[in-house]
Amino acid sequence: MIYDLIIIGGGPAGITAGIYAARKKLKTLLITKEWGGQITKAIDIENWPGTQKISGTDLIKQMTEHLHNFEIEIKENKEVIDLDKEKDNFILNDGEQTYEAKSVIIATGKIPRLLNVPGEEEFKGKGVSVCSTCDAPMFKDKNVAVIGGGNAGFNVGLDMIKYAKKVYILDFFEEMKGDPITKDKLAQSGIVEFITNVSVKEIKGTKFVESLIYEDRKSGKDTEIQVQGVFVSVGMEAKAGFAEKLVELNKIGEIVIDKDNNTKTSGLFAAGDITDIKYEQIIIACGEGAKAVLAATDYLKNKA
Amino acid sequence: MEAKPKVRVFSTPTCPYCVALKGYLKEHNIEFEDIDVSQDLVAQKEMIDRSGQYGVPVADINGEIIIGFNQERINQLLNIK
Repeated sequence: MIYDLIIIGGGPAGITAGIYAARKKLKTLLITKEWGGQITKAIDIENWPGTQKISGTDLIKQMTEHLHNFEIEIKENKEVIDLDKEKDNFILNDGEQTYEAKSVIIATGKIPRLLNVPGEEEFKGKGVSVCSTCDAPMFKDKNVAVIGGGNAGFNVGLDMIKYAKKVYILDFFEEMKGDPITKDKLAQSGIVEFITNVSVKEIKGTKFVESLIYEDRKSGKDTEIQVQGVFVSVGMEAKAGFAEKLVELNKIGEIVIDKDNNTKTSGLFAAGDITDIKYEQIIIACGEGAKAVLAATDYLKNKA
Repeated sequence: MEAKPKVRVFSTPTCPYCVALKGYLKEHNIEFEDIDVSQDLVAQKEMIDRSGQYGVPVADINGEIIIGFNQERINQLLNIK
């Protein structure tokens, strides 16, 4: 079986691509690890035209229901680990089986960046959290560390000062990038300590998190702080390594595309947050997904 | 007729997966006790002790603890097809 098109990813870009491909009557397969990604963490989306306010989980549910109305083959809970081209066709591998297609759209989005330090994985859910809006109330009267002094980290800080006894905000760089107005608000709480130019070395504990060790990047000195919670907020990461043979990646791992979603390999397109487009929004990801299918359709027509 | 399952959901008001989990149960007409652990600190302690972790949501279905919105396990325990 050779598909006309395989779409990798089940977020706004991938789902929109699926809808467009089905309407173009392309013989399509959509492979995804999960439905939605970053969008599932959005509490209130208020810039989706036609809907004044909707949660990310509801919006992605509506999108998937819309997609399922069409005749399109879907493989869920599968992650493509290798993508290559043999002659004119693309070969994809999910670790269990291979798939073949005339064209491919990569729309795998971004995932939260990790610290990659000892204890981070071990204490996930046991004090280490990536969702402060979810878990902040669990840390009433406790000490917490927020890793990352960008706007995302500062927003985590705002969630935490409502509950915690003490909040440390740590940043790798000399200056925190978050908005000064938010920083003032945090400082005014009287319980926030800002620590810059440090790198986190280890998260320690027994059953739950008990402390965190960071190194001062200037002096090289280690400091251990007693915290029960660690909120990691060091940005998002594009992971397109599975496609590296066929695409050009920029400095931060995003797939380089032209304005019509072409990658450097003809027949291979990319859409949404995985690409090097400047602005990352749900509506933009959807638009990029649509564009990629239109470009793929032209490609298939010219090839035939 | 099968006995009605005893379902409790430990959650916080602001967590998207909690909203999704509770919405899913409602959709399938499953009655549950809705416990807000941001307010009920006794229940919060129970949740942390029994689940061994700090993250919400946690569901208790007939005494079995399910961490997160684990749709597959919930379907099995509640016979949702």
